[in-house]
Order: sequence, then structure tokens, then C-alpha cells
Amino acid sequence: MATFVDRYPDEAKVVQASFAVAFIALGIGAFFGLIQALHRTNILRVIDSVDYYTLLTAHGVLLALVFTIFFLVGVFTWAIAKGFERPLPDIRLTWAWFGLMTTGTVLTAVAILAGLVPEIPMSADVLYTFYAPLEAHPAFYIGLAMFIVGTWMAGADWFLAYRDWRGDNPDERIPLQPFMVLTTMIMWYVSTLGVAVAVVFFLIPWSLGLIETVNPLLTRTLFWYFGHPVVYFWLMPAYLLWYTVLPKLAGGRLFSDPLARVVFVLFVLLSTPVGIHHQYVDPGIAEGFKFIAMTNTMFLLLPSLLTAFTVVASVEHGARQRGGEGYLSWLGALPWRDPAFAGMALAGLMFAAGGFSGMVNAGMNINYLVHNTLWVPGHFHMTVGTAVALTMMAGTYWLLPQITGKTVYSRPIGLFQVVLWFIGMVFMSNAMHRGGLLGIPRRTAEPQYQNFDFAAAVGSVGEIRMQIAFGGLLLFLSVVFFLFNVAATWAEDRVDTPVDDTIPAPLSPPSGAPLILDNLALWTGIAVVLVVLAYTLPLASIVTDSGLLGSSPGFPVAISLEALAEAAASALPHVSLDAAAGLRPLDVAAEAAETLEVSR
Amino acid sequence: MAAEPESEEMPTSAGEGAGDGASIPDTESIDDEGYVIGSGRAGVVRQIDHDDFDPIGTLVLIAIYMAIVGAMWIFMYFVEFLGGDLTVIG
Repeated sequence: MATFVDRYPDEAKVVQASFAVAFIALGIGAFFGLIQALHRTNILRVIDSVDYYTLLTAHGVLLALVFTIFFLVGVFTWAIAKGFERPLPDIRLTWAWFGLMTTGTVLTAVAILAGLVPEIPMSADVLYTFYAPLEAHPAFYIGLAMFIVGTWMAGADWFLAYRDWRGDNPDERIPLQPFMVLTTMIMWYVSTLGVAVAVVFFLIPWSLGLIETVNPLLTRTLFWYFGHPVVYFWLMPAYLLWYTVLPKLAGGRLFSDPLARVVFVLFVLLSTPVGIHHQYVDPGIAEGFKFIAMTNTMFLLLPSLLTAFTVVASVEHGARQRGGEGYLSWLGALPWRDPAFAGMALAGLMFAAGGFSGMVNAGMNINYLVHNTLWVPGHFHMTVGTAVALTMMAGTYWLLPQITGKTVYSRPIGLFQVVLWFIGMVFMSNAMHRGGLLGIPRRTAEPQYQNFDFAAAVGSVGEIRMQIAFGGLLLFLSVVFFLFNVAATWAEDRVDTPVDDTIPAPLSPPSGAPLILDNLALWTGIAVVLVVLAYTLPLASIVTDSGLLGSSPGFPVAISLEALAEAAASALPHVSLDAAAGLRPLDVAAEAAETLEVSR
Repeated sequence: MAAEPESEEMPTSAGEGAGDGASIPDTESIDDEGYVIGSGRAGVVRQIDHDDFDPIGTLVLIAIYMAIVGAMWIFMYFVEFLGGDLTVIG
């Protein structure tokens, strides 16, 4: 029986190439993650603390952007060809976007990693959230721009495939998997507009020296305009696998096709007008705008909770068909020894826990409690780091045989690896959340301070650090096992039927879904209107306050000693000798500063 | 894929449902070595259609989830307002 690689050999090559880039990025990024986990917990410091930020940037970019998005374009290419039952319109276009994305990735990675070599005058220690005032080498931004344009071309490729299919099937419902791909790409086009403007109009000219300053709040806001929908861009391929593949792996059928469509339409509408919830503590944005962003964010819980219901019900259907009984004992009837199923199910379980901390992040008042603490990395290692990454790894065990024609090298290693990832993440993420509640900061090479101890109500900071380091080690080992299994699979010989690749029809078929759900133009229009409503006033206010280009220099700010001495000299006459004699240096300084302020 | 007619995808009788051996690479090894990847259908013992399926187990799991969310919501009061100094709001 033929599988994907036999039916669409050209497309299978593109998917293979995309997966290969994704997995190389995964290996490098995971290794840097291990170094960071050991460094910031003070278990083992093999790098200079200054280089920590270079590795942190590489870890974020390689895993959050390169691994996830290259895997996404692979899965989406597979889903489009399989769903429309036809090859892509022009394979040269397909290779063109793959080439552009890969070139951009290499450029960006070189710009980041050159920071480790002092001889090369190039660095990009701006972290994955690459907004001003941190400034990177132009190659970093240019590479990212090429990467994004590559994804746009990929979307165009898939929409052309849709146009061809629609020409031959004018009255049919869009098949579910291509529907998910197309809606996700609409969301991506709407949301990448922000980061494209930030990079092309501000960050690239700024890093090239064409403009002297940028408005940091504007580039931050434009980044987060894209920075929240990008998390759904990572998540949507995982959702695609949960909705269409997981029920099959469980031995069941998707519970409801119409409900799945509703969820993806909701993500088109709601993903973008929420970005300001990453900026709750940014001065310069009025509270009212933040409140609107919070309200929109809470609406986003709706598609996620709909997904929880639909996917769990579909899995339960599989368990019941496999003989499962009772209220909870049906869980035992599921194929837990299949790494593809077990990995995705554990990823879904971790996503439910990530939902808890996500609700805390989304709330304006309680966000202040955890903002910029280790809680936040704890949260996104559960969501993108497990719900997405573990689903992708588990999905690989089912997809790789289809795109290579080879059976997976070892099922037990696969099962061990996905369980190891889950356990490692339980240790690391739980400890990160607890550390965040104590106020331990994120993005910090040495989160220890003199004359200050973080007070833990339960356990101790040392125990939290050990858990983070241990969890990080397990996660790295899991990636090593995964990459070994993938490489060994690739090295196998081809067989006729490497995997059962059929996808059963949903219990509730697409014919029950309202026709309007397939009206992509309508949803695009509404999404644009919502974005205009949510962003026009805040952006106008930011630009009115300090202009398009602001007036802030690049950071770190070089302090001129001359200016400092001048300020000190002018403050000196105002220092009260009484206060100085009284040995109250703080008062002296405060008083001097006050009089200085007045004398201006 | 989803748009394909149901009859092509889903066998109608329970006996066939347990098999569909043509698409499973090595049915002999299933009992010995555990599940071949993606062969969840091999363990199907009965077909349950839309109208016969009552996802009561899903309801139980979601109820447990909601109970945890509710408990943590109450717990949060202690963490935020009693566990530390006042936070600045507004």
C-alpha cells in the first residue's frame, strides 16, 4: 500500500528537508538550553556569564522560531498535498520558499553565534524578543526578514494549491486539514505585518546606521503585535495533529468536524488583538488599552477549552471502541505504548497545566506578581516547550515513515524519550513557576544577589535550582534519544507499508458545519477590523508621545565620565554639610538630587 | 482525509474493525512487542457511532480540571495577598 512518499515524491522531499532543518535547530537549541540550566542554577558554569545572553538568544531563536516553524511548514505541506489529494502547483516555488527560509535562518544564526567569537565584530544578543533598545547586527534582522518572507511565500504556495483544488471542486467543503492550514496562514499574514514593519522600517535602518534612533515603545508594541499570535502559529500544527491524527492513534474518530472549524476561525479572529497583554507593565500605554487586551485574551480561552472538550472526547471514543469502560478506567484502554499517541496525550496534559499559569499571566493584576520572573519561562516551557515540541516529536514517529517510506527505528526508545521529556518538564517547569513566585528573575545569568535571599515558603531555593538543573538534563537527554531515533530511522531501508496512514472520517461530518465557516474572506475581514479597533488608538498614542523615531540611544548606554563629573560638580554646592556630617548618605544624595532638580 | 466517504474509511462490522490488517505492517508482532506506531485501530473491539457515543469520561475529566482551576483560584488569594507584600495595582 502506497504512502505519502510514493504518491507525492517531490513534496515528500520538501517535507524531509524542512524536518531536517527543524531537527538540527532542535539539537543545537536543546544543547544551549542545558548549558543555561546548569549555568543559572550555579551547578556548572562552562561559559562566561556575558556569553549567557548569546546562548539564550540562540536557544530562543533556534527553538521557538526555527524548530517550530520549519516543522510547521513540513507538516502543512504534507497536510495540503494529502488533504487536497494533489501535488503542489509548482514545486519550484516550494523549493524557493524553503531556500529563502533556510538562508535567512543561517544568516540569523551566524549573527547570533558570532557573538561567542570576540574576533568577529558581529553580535546579536537581543534575545528572541528582539525589540529595541537592544540592538543586533543588521545580518540578524535581515536573516529574520528573509525567514518571514519565506513563510509568506509558503502560504502563497498553499493558497495556490487551494485555488487549483477549488477550480475542480467548486461545491465541496474544504477538507479539514487544508482548512486548518489556510486559516492559520491568514492569522499569520495579519500578525506578521507588525514585525515586518518593525524590522524593515525601524530595526534594519537603525542597525545599518541610516537612522539614529527608534521609538523603543513602538518597536516593542509592534513586536508584541506579532509576539502573541506567533505562539498560536506554533500551536496550530500541534492542534492540527491533535484534531486529525490523535483520535486515529487512539483508535477512534474525530468527535466533531464543525467544532474543529469553529476553533480555527476563532484563532483567526482573536489571536492578534491581544498582544498588549505582554506589556502590562510598560509605561506609555494607557491602562484602558491594557484592559481591552486582557478582555480579548480571556476570550481566547474559549477555543482552547473547546479543543480540550473535542480532543478528549475523540480520544475517549477511541478508548471506548477499544473496549474501555467506566468513568475513568477507559483511560487504561488507550494505546499508551505507542510513542506517537503517548507523546501527544502527555503534551495535551501538560498544556492543560500550562493553561493554569497562562490564566495568571493574562490577568492584569496578578500578572504584576509574576511579570519578568522565572514563572514566565516556566509557563512557556509547558506550552511551546511541551504542548508544541512534544507533540511535534511524537507526531514525527507517525509522520516520518510516511515521508521517508521507512519504519521507525525503535518504538521503545521513542516511548522512553517522550516520557522522559514529560518527566523532565515536570521537574523544570514546576520549579520555575515556584521560583517565579519567590521573585527570582528571568533572563539572568547569575540570579544571586549579595545581602539578599529569596524566601521560600515551601522547600528552598537550592532545591528549586536542583530541580531546574535536573529537569534540564532530562530534557536534553530526551532530545538526544529523539535525534538518534530519527537519524536511525532515516538510515533504514524503505518498506512497502511503513505505517498505517489512514485518517478515519469524523463522527460528526463537515456537512453539519455552517457554510459560512468556509468563507475565508469574511473571517479575514473581521480579523482585520478587530486588529484596527484594538491597535489604532494605542499606536497613535505611542507615536504622538515620542514620535516615530523616538529619541533613545542604543543600549547598553555608554555613560560619559565627563557628564557625570559635571553633574556632581553642579550638585556639590547644594549638599547640606549637616546631613553629610550626620552620616546619612542616602539623605545627602536625595537632597542633592532634589535641589539639582529645582535648580534646573 | 475528513472529506472522504465514511464507507471507505470505516469498516462496518466489528470483526473487520479489529483488523484492517492490510494497512498494518506487521500484525504478528503486535502481541509480542506492544503497539506498532499508529496501529491504535488494531485493538478496536466494537464500532461506536455518533448517536451511540456518550462522552461521559470527558465530562468527568473536565469537571476535575474545573475543580483544580477553582481550587487554585482560591489558593491564589493566599499567594498574592497574604503571602507577600502588597503589589502595586493601577
